[in-house]
Amino acid sequence: MLPFIIRRLLWMVVLLLVISFLTYIIFYTLPAADPAALRAGRQPTPELLASIKKSLGLDKPWYIQYLKYLQRLVFHFDFGYSYQNQVSVKSQIFDRLPATAALAVGAAIVWLLIGIPVGIISAIKRGTWMDRIAMGGALVAISAPVYWLGLVSLYLFSKDLGKIPLFEGQGAYPSSGNIFTKPGEVIPALIMPWFVLAASFAAIYARFLRGNLLETMSEDYIRTARSKGLRERTVVFKHGVRSAITPIVTILGLDLGILLGGAILTETVFNIPGVGRLAFDAIQKSDLPTVQGTVLMGAFFIIILNLVVDVVYAFLDPRVRY
Amino acid sequence: MALLEVTDLKVHFKTDDGIVKAVDGVSYTVESGQAMGIVGESGSGKSVSSLTVMGLTRFSSNAMISGSIRFDGRDLLAASDEDMRKLRGNDMAMIFQDPLSSLHPFYKIGDQLVEAIRAHRDVSKAQALDRTVEMLGLVGIPEPRRRVDSYPHEFSGGMRQRVMIAMALINDPKLLIADEPTTALDVTVQAQILDLIQRLQRELDTAIVMITHDLGVVAEVTDEIAVMYAGRVVEYAGKDTIFAAPEHPYTWGLLKSIPRLDSPRGEELVPIPGRPPSLIIKPSGCAFHPRCPYVREAHTKIDPQLAPAADAGNGGGHKHEVACLLPAQTRRALWAALRTGEVPEQVLEHVDVPETAVDKEAVGEVLAPAGTEVAEGVVAEGSAAEPAPEPATAPAGETEETPS
Amino acid sequence: MRRSVRWTLFVSVVTALAMFVAACGGSDNGGGGGGGSKTAAVQTKIAQGKKGGNLTYLAAGDVDYLDTGQTYYTFGYMVAYATNRMLYSFKPTDSIHPVPDLATGPPEISADNKTITVHIKPGIKYAPPVNRVVTTKDIKYAFERAFSKEVPSGYAGAYFSSIAGTPDKPNSGDVKPISGIETPDDTTIVFKLKTAEAPLVSQALVMPITTPVPEEYASKFDKSTPSKFDQYQSFTGPYMVKNDPTTGKVTGRVPGKSIEIVRNPNWDAKTDYRPAYLDSIKIEEGNDDLATASRRALNGQSTVCCDAGSPPAQVLKQALARQKNQVIFVASGGTRYIAFDTKVKPFDNINIRKAIIAASNRNALRLTRGGAILGDIATGWIPPGIPGFEEAGGLKQNTDLDYLANPNGDPAVSKKYMLAAKKDDPSLPIDANGKWSGGEKILTIATNADPGKKTAEVFQGQMQDLGFKLNFRIVPQDTLYTKFCGVPKQNVAICPNVGWFKDFADPQSMLDATFNGKNILQQGNVNWPQLNDPQINSAMKAASTTPVGTERNQAWAKIGHMIAEQAPAIPWIWDKTASVGSANVNQVVNGYDTAHDLNFTSIK
Repeated sequence: MLPFIIRRLLWMVVLLLVISFLTYIIFYTLPAADPAALRAGRQPTPELLASIKKSLGLDKPWYIQYLKYLQRLVFHFDFGYSYQNQVSVKSQIFDRLPATAALAVGAAIVWLLIGIPVGIISAIKRGTWMDRIAMGGALVAISAPVYWLGLVSLYLFSKDLGKIPLFEGQGAYPSSGNIFTKPGEVIPALIMPWFVLAASFAAIYARFLRGNLLETMSEDYIRTARSKGLRERTVVFKHGVRSAITPIVTILGLDLGILLGGAILTETVFNIPGVGRLAFDAIQKSDLPTVQGTVLMGAFFIIILNLVVDVVYAFLDPRVRY
Repeated sequence: MALLEVTDLKVHFKTDDGIVKAVDGVSYTVESGQAMGIVGESGSGKSVSSLTVMGLTRFSSNAMISGSIRFDGRDLLAASDEDMRKLRGNDMAMIFQDPLSSLHPFYKIGDQLVEAIRAHRDVSKAQALDRTVEMLGLVGIPEPRRRVDSYPHEFSGGMRQRVMIAMALINDPKLLIADEPTTALDVTVQAQILDLIQRLQRELDTAIVMITHDLGVVAEVTDEIAVMYAGRVVEYAGKDTIFAAPEHPYTWGLLKSIPRLDSPRGEELVPIPGRPPSLIIKPSGCAFHPRCPYVREAHTKIDPQLAPAADAGNGGGHKHEVACLLPAQTRRALWAALRTGEVPEQVLEHVDVPETAVDKEAVGEVLAPAGTEVAEGVVAEGSAAEPAPEPATAPAGETEETPS
Repeated sequence: MRRSVRWTLFVSVVTALAMFVAACGGSDNGGGGGGGSKTAAVQTKIAQGKKGGNLTYLAAGDVDYLDTGQTYYTFGYMVAYATNRMLYSFKPTDSIHPVPDLATGPPEISADNKTITVHIKPGIKYAPPVNRVVTTKDIKYAFERAFSKEVPSGYAGAYFSSIAGTPDKPNSGDVKPISGIETPDDTTIVFKLKTAEAPLVSQALVMPITTPVPEEYASKFDKSTPSKFDQYQSFTGPYMVKNDPTTGKVTGRVPGKSIEIVRNPNWDAKTDYRPAYLDSIKIEEGNDDLATASRRALNGQSTVCCDAGSPPAQVLKQALARQKNQVIFVASGGTRYIAFDTKVKPFDNINIRKAIIAASNRNALRLTRGGAILGDIATGWIPPGIPGFEEAGGLKQNTDLDYLANPNGDPAVSKKYMLAAKKDDPSLPIDANGKWSGGEKILTIATNADPGKKTAEVFQGQMQDLGFKLNFRIVPQDTLYTKFCGVPKQNVAICPNVGWFKDFADPQSMLDATFNGKNILQQGNVNWPQLNDPQINSAMKAASTTPVGTERNQAWAKIGHMIAEQAPAIPWIWDKTASVGSANVNQVVNGYDTAHDLNFTSIK
């Protein structure tokens, strides 16, 4: 197992390098705003433009810029400074990461707590009204775009706008502090975002688990378990769900990896200062260092979580060996 | 009192295509310590009847069960789910065809065996483990103490089946049902497993029901044999009688299609023509008639019942029953000819099969043509309503019988 | 008396060289000059609320800079106006006549127009950690740093190079002393000029460049390129952005998230005209969704919105119906127009340009922004509130030209000009009905953000009716300016989403940068039509030195007409911005920078 993990980590480094290179290329070939001109305001004199370009390091050819960037990154773990406000990209990302992480992990807990029981019950009670309502509801939840769902929930339930004021609404997330330092402010602000973000995932997981469990329950070892005289509950959970749930681990890891790169839409609707927002704003303002930083961070999470999922899978399924 | 008494058992499944009459009036008995074989093609109902004995058919929501099953004096069909659960794996046990897929891939075999014990006995894990090791040793697994920590995929096929047998016998059941236990194994291993089963049967005095399509298997292990076709028992006799003096054309067909040491050299193997019938729309009259070389007009209208064969008592204390409309003498004459190596065409040349005479005892009700609902194309060759069209919810065992 | 003439000059030219307000199609900022304009432009009455309370400001974006030496967008200006004091500034009620802020009185100009002397009030202190009293040396340093490459100020060189001792190439070297700025004592500052431009320079003293910056505190930050002072800004106003009282690091600003503005403990109300009712202001950023943000302001408590434009039409309509008192309109002091590049075919032909202007339905275009409540149909480039508006003809300026007469478009006039174009140049693909029949697609760059996108799309429809086929590309606002429309080499034929808002309430600021041939730049160009008419150019040169007053207004009004005669663009709206706030807020907008004036806003 260890050589496997090491191989994968090395491969991760290669991937991140390739991604950083691609980001640079994309940035330079597609027409975005000129960051120097953005900082210079209207009617900039040519000297002013040149001066800003120089201070941002934009006067050098792109490959030189790339190499310098790489050098800073690899030797000093320095992601550079934002073109917009000269704040270090690393500090901005780490500052905003807790918000995204709290949002993603919290939503994951919610969707697992909802999706898994619903999936199991639907499978056990297949064909009954419970099953039909659950799967119908799931279809709605999957189809509803998260942005729309967020706005609707704001207009229905947020304390300052909603018809039935119950939860904190847009902008309730404090601008400093995170879930560990200010749980009393952060957690209420995240309740609606958690549920909004979790909705479509819970639905997908429920449907997936239902299908998986139904298939699993027709496996031979279930028949064996019953013929051993085990209680039906034991058969369903210890034998059935235990098998059916392993693919869930895989998709959970992937989904978390993607969300940790920034749940942009949810962060926007609820104005949560996470990495997704940071990336989005940076793209709009052609702030390459920040874009690069967030892209690399997102890629890192996806790759790492992929690895974690593969390793965990080996523990869950003894047939899998590396 | 017999250990297991099955009387007129019917198991029908409601499906979108119609009602599948998987088991359509089956009766047999098994005495304590005895070994019985049930032989038939896939779709004959052999697995379903045993699964029903175990109570596993109850898990299919579309099953309609009627008749009677008495085990150790208890009425199983009237028993509650909980009562059945207490019997399963305890007083009666079953092993299945594919031991790899029948064992849970994620749990060590030791854990699975311990689980089987602790479902019915209030013992500690350590005690259960000891018993597990003991059983594994008994079935011939080397180094059992070490191998309890292995996973199913770490064993060979034969070993896995031994594990299954150990698991089935671990609580000392009175009855062991083995559903095609050797079909998935290769021939040498097959022999070992059969030996094992026989040995255990003698040592533990367990009654055995061996389900198979392979006559060679039952020749080894069993005392009595029931031949099933289209959900019915068509012949029932002691083992020796079945091989020496069978009286049903289907049984003849089965015997003629396997090579035997005592058959003449150069004898052709004759497969039974046609395919097993649809269990939704069964053929009218005798269910075998579309494939029977000796069919007569009357056979398409009358549904034969099981009746004693004329030589009852010949099989060393076992009864001999057969469900065929042909008169007893005709049957014996036909067999006498067949066993010399003739094929049915040749036999028909010199044995006269009467047009209208029938074995009176075999006539039950004269049934109307057996077709109930007629669904489009249901009876056609190769259509979905054929043996494998067991409803999706039927216990998987039945659909696994691979037609040859 | 000389002094009073100078004072009048100073006062009426109104903040020459004042704050640049971003030229933009996207972000709207209301405001406007006063003067004798009929359209209400500034609040004349400020409601007085109670002292205290906390305001929440919902913003979409962030300030560009906190550094007063660099900030030039309205939003940054709003913050600067509350947290710092300049030599001269504007009360919200009067955007034409500045009042002395740090200064004790108007600037004293020498007879030869080469020296300006200003005295400042004593005893004005910085907020912690600087804590000490402001001296004129701090103002001198503020100028010196604005000429360095560490602090690339957008206007220092443009307006203050006449000061003796300033570098030849502004913003190319490190911070160096400027010999022409003298501080004989702590409350006196003297500007010595190389040329006799004192009147103009003295007017520029309203700009944030005159915010004092303590050298001993700031110089270490000004050593980095770019300067880090933005994160350590000092404060002299009634408010400050929360900072670390020992290091001065601005902790209250989290870029992209929020800005916390609190009271400056060292502010002395007796030295200031600002009432500073509020105790604190929390700016909440990231509110891109104007619909939700404006609703939150309207239905909530102590909240105002927005920096990024008027609320969406639906919300505004509802608000005007039910919460009229919570909506303020301010004239943005600018014109939006659809510019043709006169160097790109076929727009090098003046008749074709006139034809398109004649055909355009400007009412339909205005509807995309929300209709009549959000602005007047523009007929020229001198908007209401700017001196010269009345002289140009007010809302009817340039309507003597037949192609600008009808706001709904006039197909007959359009046809006339198309046929005239055909007559001049038979090679043009124009048919007998005056419709364009050419197949080549005309490059048009539009913005991807509504309502600009809608406007461009409606315009595209109007062009198609005339027979033109457009290569219609949609890009983000910033890209539109910095990579396409602002770069002549890109040969963008039509830019439908441009606009120009006042630099200062003077007609020159509306017309010079945008239509003077000498202001065509290869990058960051704002003379989008690339108009280069020698007659217009020389008229502008002459009018730039005309002293302030009716004569000046008339001169520029005439230039405005000359420009319209060249048909370089379709002016379509002089727009207003609506701001909304909660019922318990007395909203006050500063007519000069067209943003909320946090010093005068209060809670009821």
